[in-house]
Amino acid sequence: MQIGDRFIEGEIKAREEARKVYEQAKAEGKKTALLEQQRPNIFTNQVANIGPGETIVVQIEYQSSVHQSGGEFSLRFPMVVAPRYNPDPIVQTVDLDPKSGYAVNDPVPDRDKITAPVLDPAENAKINPVTLTVNLNAGFPLGTITSPFHQTDMQTIDDMARKISLKSGSVPADKDFELSWNAVAGKTPNAGLFHETQNGKTYLLGFVTPPAQDAATQTYPKREVVFVIDNSGSMAGPSIEQARNSLALAISKLRPEDKFNVVRFDDTMEVHFPSLVQATPDKREDAIAFVRGLTADGGTEMLPALEAALRTQGPVETGSLRQVVFLTDGAIGNEAQLFDEISKNRGDARVFTVGIGSAPNTHFMTKAAEIGRGTFTLIGSEDQVAARMGELFDKLENPVMTDIAVSFDGANAPDITPNPMPDLYRGEPVVLTAQLDGATPAGKLQIIGKTGNQPWRIEMDVAKASEGKGIAKLWARRKIDGLEANAYAVNDAAALDKQIETVALANHLVSRVTSLVAVDVTPSRPAGKPVVSTDMPLNLPEGWDFEKVFGEKPQQAIPEGQRKASLERQDEQAMLIADRMAAAPTAHAASMIADAGKQVDLPQTATLADRHILIGLMLLAFALMAATTFSLWRWQVRGLASEVRDRVR
Amino acid sequence: MSDKPGNEGNQNKEGRAGFLARLNALETVVLAGILLVALAGLMLVGKGFYMKAKAEVSQVLLKRSFEAQLEGETNAKPWPWADFTTEAEITALRIGKTAVVLSGASGEALAFGPARLANTPAPGELGTSVIAAHRDTHFRWLRDVKPGDLLVVTRKDGTNLTFRAGSSRIARWDESGINADAPGRNLALATCWPFDATEQGPLRYIVDAELVADAGPSTLAAQGGPSKLPVNSF
Repeated sequence: MQIGDRFIEGEIKAREEARKVYEQAKAEGKKTALLEQQRPNIFTNQVANIGPGETIVVQIEYQSSVHQSGGEFSLRFPMVVAPRYNPDPIVQTVDLDPKSGYAVNDPVPDRDKITAPVLDPAENAKINPVTLTVNLNAGFPLGTITSPFHQTDMQTIDDMARKISLKSGSVPADKDFELSWNAVAGKTPNAGLFHETQNGKTYLLGFVTPPAQDAATQTYPKREVVFVIDNSGSMAGPSIEQARNSLALAISKLRPEDKFNVVRFDDTMEVHFPSLVQATPDKREDAIAFVRGLTADGGTEMLPALEAALRTQGPVETGSLRQVVFLTDGAIGNEAQLFDEISKNRGDARVFTVGIGSAPNTHFMTKAAEIGRGTFTLIGSEDQVAARMGELFDKLENPVMTDIAVSFDGANAPDITPNPMPDLYRGEPVVLTAQLDGATPAGKLQIIGKTGNQPWRIEMDVAKASEGKGIAKLWARRKIDGLEANAYAVNDAAALDKQIETVALANHLVSRVTSLVAVDVTPSRPAGKPVVSTDMPLNLPEGWDFEKVFGEKPQQAIPEGQRKASLERQDEQAMLIADRMAAAPTAHAASMIADAGKQVDLPQTATLADRHILIGLMLLAFALMAATTFSLWRWQVRGLASEVRDRVR
Repeated sequence: MSDKPGNEGNQNKEGRAGFLARLNALETVVLAGILLVALAGLMLVGKGFYMKAKAEVSQVLLKRSFEAQLEGETNAKPWPWADFTTEAEITALRIGKTAVVLSGASGEALAFGPARLANTPAPGELGTSVIAAHRDTHFRWLRDVKPGDLLVVTRKDGTNLTFRAGSSRIARWDESGINADAPGRNLALATCWPFDATEQGPLRYIVDAELVADAGPSTLAAQGGPSKLPVNSF
C-alpha cells in the first residue's frame, strides 16, 4: 500500500484474523487495505479511510503460468469479472405448518461478495482504465507474437525478448488481455526444467511435450459426443455468434459412425434428440439448423443441462469414447455444485469446455475440464473459432496419453503437483511443479506415460535445471488448488482449511482461508468524522448486452393503474442503486473524465450582416452630415464673398 | 440611400451655374471624400441585406430540394454548384419556425441554413448531434425556445424525431461541454451569444434537447413493437 511516499507492506493472515485487523484499523481511522479471495479467480480489495481527494495506491503481485498448447504459448491477463448468474436458492417447504418456515440451501452462499455493481454501457462511459506493459523474456527465439484483443506496440529487445505495451496507453477494463507467442520454426522447446531455492528447499518447474504420434498409423475410435451450448443472456451479442459457429463446425466434423446429441440451456433447457443419434448427414443438418436458430436470453441454470448431458444419454457403447463438449462463458456463481456434479456423475465421459466471449470464467472451465478429464479451449473472438476449434478436434480425435506418473530418482520429492497427473491431449505438455529437500538436489526426473498401448518415458537431470523466479509460489498455488479440488472427497473441512492455511502462510499467498492486510500506523481520519462505504462498479464485458443480463426495463405495455405503482417501484430501485453507487464515479462524472478531451468545438455562428448594415448606416449618416456641413460652409463662404464683392463695388 | 442624392441635389441647386468650376482644389477633395464614405456605407448596407436575403431565399431553394429528397430523389442538390446536401428539417412547434438543416457546418453552408456539425452523429443516432446556425438569421428564434418545447426533426429518410428541449446555457466555443459520444440520443442547438451583439464573439448559446423516447425509431425497432414509426411524412 502506498500513501504519498510511504510504502506499507501487507501481511498474509488467516482470513478471519485479517478481517478483524482491517475492521479495527478502519474503526480507528487508520488507512488500511484488505485483499480477499472470493473464488480462485475472484479477489476483492477493500481500502478504508481514504480522505477526500487522496490517492492510495495498492500494489498486488501475482504469479501465473503461461499456457502452452500445440507449440503456442499464451498469457491471459483478466481485466474484468463478468457478472455471474447466481441461481436462486431452491426453496423447499418443509412443513405446511406456518410456524416451521422453510429450509433453504443457497447454491451461492456468498452472492453479495461476488456481485459488484455493473455500469450500463448505454448510460455510462467505460471506467477503470488499465495500462499494461509486458516484458516478455521467452528464453527461445521468438516467432510471431499476437495480441488478439488489444492493439499493442512492440519493442524488440533481442531475439528472445520483447517489450509490449498497449497502443492507446490505457484501455477500459472490459475484456481480457491475451498475448500469445511461438518460437521460430524448429526452435519450439519440447522440454524445460527450472528451479528456485527458497528456505533450504528447491522448487522445480518442468514441462515436456510428448512427441505427436504419426497420424497415418492410428485408428480413430468411435465417439459419442454430447454438445451442450449455453444460450443464456450473458451470451448475447458476439458470444452466441461464436458459440453457434463453433458448434456448427463441430457438428459438421463428426463422422457418420459417431453418435451425438445437442443440449441447449438458459434458465430452461432442451435436449434436441431424444437420445444419441448416428451422425448421418441429415441428422447433422437438422442439429446445425437447431443451433443456428438459437438466441441468447434468460438466466444460466447450468446444472440441469449438465445433468442431462452426463446422466441421461444412456450407457457408453463398448469401444466408444463418450465426450461432453460444453460451450459457455461460465458466468455462474455456483461452481462448487457443478464441480460436484461432474466429479460424481462423469462415469467414463470426458468433459471438454469451450470458453466463449471476452471475459469468460476461465477458472470454472479449466477446473471443470480437469475434473472431467478433458481440456479447456478458449475462443475470444470470431476469427479464433476455426483455429481453436480445429485444435479441439485434434484433441477429440486423437488418443490421449494416460497413466502419466512422475518420479524422482535419487532425490526426495515429497510433493509433486498436480497430483495425480492429468491425461494429456495432443500438443499439450506435461507441466509439473515439485518441492525437493535440500538446496542443491541431484538426481533425475522421470516421467512415464502411455499412449494407447504404447509406453512413453523421459528423463531429465535435476542438477541441470536453470534458475527461475516465482516457482515456489507457483508450486504452493498448485498445491492449494490440488487440496481444494479434493475438497469434496475430504470429510474434515477444518483439517483441509488448516492444510491450505499452512501452505498459504508459508508462501505468502492469498487463498480462500488467508487474506492480505496492510495497515497504516497513524490514524488519518479525524475522530468523529464519518466513513462512507461504496462498491466500485465494473464495466460490462465487451460485447455483452446489458438488458439481456440484468433484464430489460419495463415497457409501456402496462395498464395505467399499475403503471404508476411500477414507476414508483422503478424510482425506488433507481434510488437504491444510486445509494449503492454513491461516491463511486457517477455516470456523469465518469463520462466527463473519460471524454474530457473529446468535446465538440462550435463554429462561428454570427454573420457580420447586422454589423455591416449598422456600419453602413453610420457611414451614410456621417456622409450626410459632412455633406450638409460642406454645403452650409460653401453657402456661407459664398455669402461672405458676395458681401465683400458688394462692398468693393 | 435617399439622403445622398437629395444632398447632392441640394448642392446642385446651390451652385447651378458652373458649380464644379467654382470649386477650388480643397473643396473637390472634401466632396470626393464624402462621396466615398457614402458609397462605402451603401455597399455595407447592401452587403448586410444581401446576406439576409441570401439566407431567406436559399431556405426556399433548400426546402424544395429537401422535399425532393423526401420523395426519394437521392443527391438532390439545392442548386447545381452547392457543395453540401440537405440533411433534415427542424421545426420548433410552439414557435412555428422551420429550417432545413445542411450537412457539414462550414462557413459556406452556414450562410444558407443551419448545419449539423460533421463530427457529430446524425440526429436520432446514439450520441449528441449538434446543429449550429447563425443567430441573426436561421436561429434567431433559438432565444425563444423554452425548456419543454418540442423540436421535430424530419430526417431525409422521412423519419420524424421529436426532441424535447431542456435547459439552455452559454459557453465559450471551445468549452462547449458537448460530447458527441455522450450516452443517449441527444440534440444540441447552438448559435452565437449575445443575441443582439453585432460583433463576432467567443460565446455560444446552447440548447440541449433529448429524444422523446416513445418516438425513437431505434428503440421501437429494438422492442420489435408495432411499426408506428418511422412515420413517412409527405
